[in-house]
Formats: sequence, structure tokens, C-alpha cells
Amino acid sequence: MTYISPLPTRKYDLSFARWVHRHIDGGDRLAMCMQCGVCSGSCPLGTTMDNGPRKTFMMIRAGMKDEVLQSDTLWNCVSCYNCVVRCPRDVPVAYILHELATVAVREGYAQARTAETNKFVKGFTWSYKIFGRTDERLVSLFYYFQDGFASGLKKLLAFRHIALGFLKVGRLPFGMPHSLRHRRELRKILTAATKIEAQPAKGGR
Amino acid sequence: MLESQPRSQTILVVGGGISGITTAIEAAETGYDVVILEKTPTLGGRVAQLNRYFPKLCHPTCGLEINFQRIRKNPQVTIFTMSTVAAIQGERGDYTVTVRQTPRYVKPNCTACGDCTRAVEMKVKNPFNYDLADMTAAYLPHEMAFPMRYVIAPQLIGTDEAEKVKAACQYNAIDLEEKESTFDLHVGAIVWATGWQPYDAARISPYRYAYLKDVITNVEMERLAAHNGPTHGHILRPSNGQIPRNVALIQCAGSRDHNHLPYCSRICCLASMKHAAYLREQYADVRVDIYYIDIRAHDKLEAFYRKIVNDPRVRMIKSKPAEIRIGAEDEPVVCGENTLTREIYSESYDLVVLATGMQPSYSIHGSLINVKMDDYGFIVPDDDNKGIFSAGVAAGPLDVSMSVQSATAAALKAIQAVY
Repeated sequence: MTYISPLPTRKYDLSFARWVHRHIDGGDRLAMCMQCGVCSGSCPLGTTMDNGPRKTFMMIRAGMKDEVLQSDTLWNCVSCYNCVVRCPRDVPVAYILHELATVAVREGYAQARTAETNKFVKGFTWSYKIFGRTDERLVSLFYYFQDGFASGLKKLLAFRHIALGFLKVGRLPFGMPHSLRHRRELRKILTAATKIEAQPAKGGR
Repeated sequence: MLESQPRSQTILVVGGGISGITTAIEAAETGYDVVILEKTPTLGGRVAQLNRYFPKLCHPTCGLEINFQRIRKNPQVTIFTMSTVAAIQGERGDYTVTVRQTPRYVKPNCTACGDCTRAVEMKVKNPFNYDLADMTAAYLPHEMAFPMRYVIAPQLIGTDEAEKVKAACQYNAIDLEEKESTFDLHVGAIVWATGWQPYDAARISPYRYAYLKDVITNVEMERLAAHNGPTHGHILRPSNGQIPRNVALIQCAGSRDHNHLPYCSRICCLASMKHAAYLREQYADVRVDIYYIDIRAHDKLEAFYRKIVNDPRVRMIKSKPAEIRIGAEDEPVVCGENTLTREIYSESYDLVVLATGMQPSYSIHGSLINVKMDDYGFIVPDDDNKGIFSAGVAAGPLDVSMSVQSATAAALKAIQAVY
């Protein structure tokens, strides 16, 4: 693995918590967390997450970096922002989870590579990079077939009822995907964004 | 001491709750003239609306009775009810305060016989019971009212019933022609004892206070438990009048929350312990669940907290509930995460009590340039205006005993300002 963030070596090692505080967007607000449980309680996927946001934040403080970045909590967030709105301490919960997920991918944690959400995000990114928009049909196909033809076909068949339902109500259009008029401009923006992301953050990693 | 003699040595106390009364009496009993302004028709404030005090569960009427006696015996205390401050001018030792008095429509020769109440049919909202039940438009604010004088609601004025009420009074104590008046007072020091308001629970939208009848606030719980409340002291479900079998008490409802009141109101934890005691006293088989982030029971209050948590029918759940859903039979369903077990729960209750915090009244209703507030709206000492002080909850979130201490301190500060 290629670690960018520090890996705590003993119990209650604060090095990872400090790194999160410094380098994760909104990570500084994590110090305000009072473990009330509103975030995990508000989460529509609260019962399916292994840790939930509240426990994840406590694990960061306890220096449990491996456990945090391997957990499925980072991948089960559906971005409803209930937690962000309700948090009594203004902790941007969902944003922190998203960015931790990025860290998990970057540092090569197994859970991150195999997470379904991550696969779907790949399709999503592929679509907007090419067309400047997301085309639901192509994103779905990309997501279904990235593990090979057989598993793609299986997934496709499993979801056929939903596809037929969409067809019936006219929500599955035919024809070429819509695309952005100034795709070249968008590509420039994306290239610049990638460059900014690659730059070491203030204070260095 | 002032460099020059103060023009006036009178102390003005704004607010006639427990803090205002205490400030006034303490100052008056050392020989100073004191004027109390009270916005409502009676003294006593929020304390008169409480059923019992924690931790000893004694009745607030007892302390109020003693204080009213002290006021009655002291000729140096003047009271203006239904009055508010419209403007303040001047400086320490020489303030001119403009007072606005709304009409009561009942003269001082009222004997509180109650004939007017019996003569009227119009109902108006009863703020004393936090609008849980209506009252007649000619009313005595509550049985401990001081001054013991009836009030006629402004809604009655101009209707046919008003004349009926006037005729019913055999002492000719009703004056329907009374108008709002404004007058000036000259005082040397001003003490703000304007107290608090319960935080508006409807603003905590995930708790659905506005939609669920069986979700009430802690102040409403006090009225339900009080013998002079809408249910004559029986704690019943507001939706159907049935006895609640399982009750949830939710701490920090809109407190310690950046979306609502960012501070801790200090009283709610113990008030909820007291509510658990009310429930267990009335119903032997009731189950009480207390949802909390952490319980703040300071020093001497810890014994009371221990007594409640050792009750086998009281369950402590470490969690701030995320929301209250509407159940199949319109009952409240409390949802959230138990932070000790990581269990996601959703439990139905017959009654849910939200422990809402205290919001300083002045920050809501006041707007005078001479008064300085902190970030939360509590009145703080102003170096530019050394004759203005604050006492009780106007100065910070306090319980009754601490409010009385704060009021005594404010009385001394006010005396030093006009000495």
C-alpha cells in the first residue's frame, strides 16, 4: 500500500486524527463532535452501515485508521445530507465521509476497490468526462459490465423489471446521449482540477 | 459612590418573576425605593407556572407566598403590572424611563369575587397554561395572583358581552373605557429581570411537535402535573385523555445545537428527572425512557439524579434522538441511534416530553439601545452604562435557587450604583 496519511502505530495515537483535522475538508469541525448520535440515527442506511458516521468519527480519534478506511460506512452514504442539516455541532458529516472514501481509494484499501458505490462512481465519472453529462443508460451499462461480460449480463437481467418500468412510463429515452456544447472547456476545467488535487496540501502530507 | 449625588436613588426592576421580586425586596428592605414593572397582570412569572421544584419536590407557591407577604408589608415597593419599558434616557443616578401600561379594565377595588367570570362566555387562549386549555375572557390569571385582581381580555372590549360583564360586577370595579397610557419614571439604577421563554419546539422540525399532539414540552408537562393546570394535576395524553403507559423524555431538544440554542440551559436535565418522578408518583406501572447526550446534575443535585436512575422503571438511553416519526395510530415514534450499543432504534410512546431550553425574553421582545447583550441574547454589564444590571435568567441560564442568588447580587450592585 502507498500510505499518504500517517498510520498510527499504537493505541490512542492521534497522528491520523490530526491529519484528518488538517487535510480533510471540514475535518477541523470533527473536533466539535460530541457523539450525540443524530447523524447515525438520521441516516436512511444507518442499519446497513457497519459503523455509521458517529462511531467512525470516534474511531478516527482513537487512531483506528485501518478500520476506518476499510469500513463500508464510507461507501454506503447516499448523500441525502440529513446528517449535515441536523448535526448540532455543524460537522459536515457527509462531506467528511466522501473525502475519506477518496483517501481509501488513493491509499489502495481493498474495501474501497471492491465497493459497489466506487464502481458506480467510475461509470458516473466516465460519462461526464466524455459527454459533460451523465447518461443513465451508459452509466448503468458501464457499471454492470466492468467486472466482465457474464456478471454484467447477470446484473442486467436482475434489473430488467426496473428497466421495463422506466420504458413503460417513457423515462428510458432512445437516441444519442445528450452532450455538453463546450466539451473542450469542461475538459480544461477537469484537467486543472486534477492538477490542484495532485498538489500537496498546505503543511505537506 | 458617584462623584456627584445621584438625582434619584430609586431602583427600577424590570420583570416580576422570582428574580425581579427578590431584587426588589432585597433592595427595599435595606431602605431603598423600588419600582417593579411587570408585563403580565400578575407577579410570579415562570415560577408560578411550575408544579414543583427540583430536587426536593417542594411547591413554588410556598416561596412565592413568603415573598408576596414581604412586598405587602414593605411600603417602599411600588408595582406596575401590564407595563413594559418603552425607552430609557440618561445615565447612572439619573435615568428617565418611559413606561407603557396596557389596560386591565379592572379597577383596584376588585374583590376577586369571580362574578365577572361567571357572566362571560367568550373563551380566549390561556398563556398561563401554555395554551393547553382556554379560559374565559374575564379571568384571574391564577389562584396565587398578586395583585389578586381580575383582568378583562382586550378581545372582549367592544362586544355585547363586555356590557354584561360590567353589569355583573356588584362593586363597579370594571372600567371598559380604560386606555393604554404612557408615563415617565425617574430612577437611579435599572435591573433587568426579564427572564426567559421556552424555546419554540415547533422549530425543531424533525421532532414534529406541531403535528403530534402527544409530543409536548417540559413546561407543558409542568402544567399537566399541576393541580391548577388543565387536567387538574393528572398527567394524561393530550390526544385522547388516556393515561400514558410509556413515556419518553428527550433531553437537549433544541439546546446545545447550532441550529437552535447553542448553549446548555442547565435546568432541563433535572427538570426531566423531576418529570420522571411525577410520572412514577402518579402511575406505578408507567415506563419512563430518558434520552440524553450527557446528564448535567451538579453537586447537590446528583443525589436526586441517582435516585431517579436507580428506579427500575426508568431507563436511561444515551442518544440524541434523530427524529420523531408519526406512528400507525398517530402516536409518536422516537428514532435514533443508541450510542453505547450502536443499535438503531425506533420506539413508540404514548407521550413524548421535549426538554426545551430557556431563551432570554429580552432577546426576543426587547430592542433598547441602552442594553447590552452577549451572543446568546443574555444581558451583560455595560461599561458605558454603569447603572444597568441584570438578574436571574435575563443574565444567564439559571435554576430558581441560582436566580435568587443572582437577584440578591443584582440588588447589591444597584444599591452601590445609587448610593
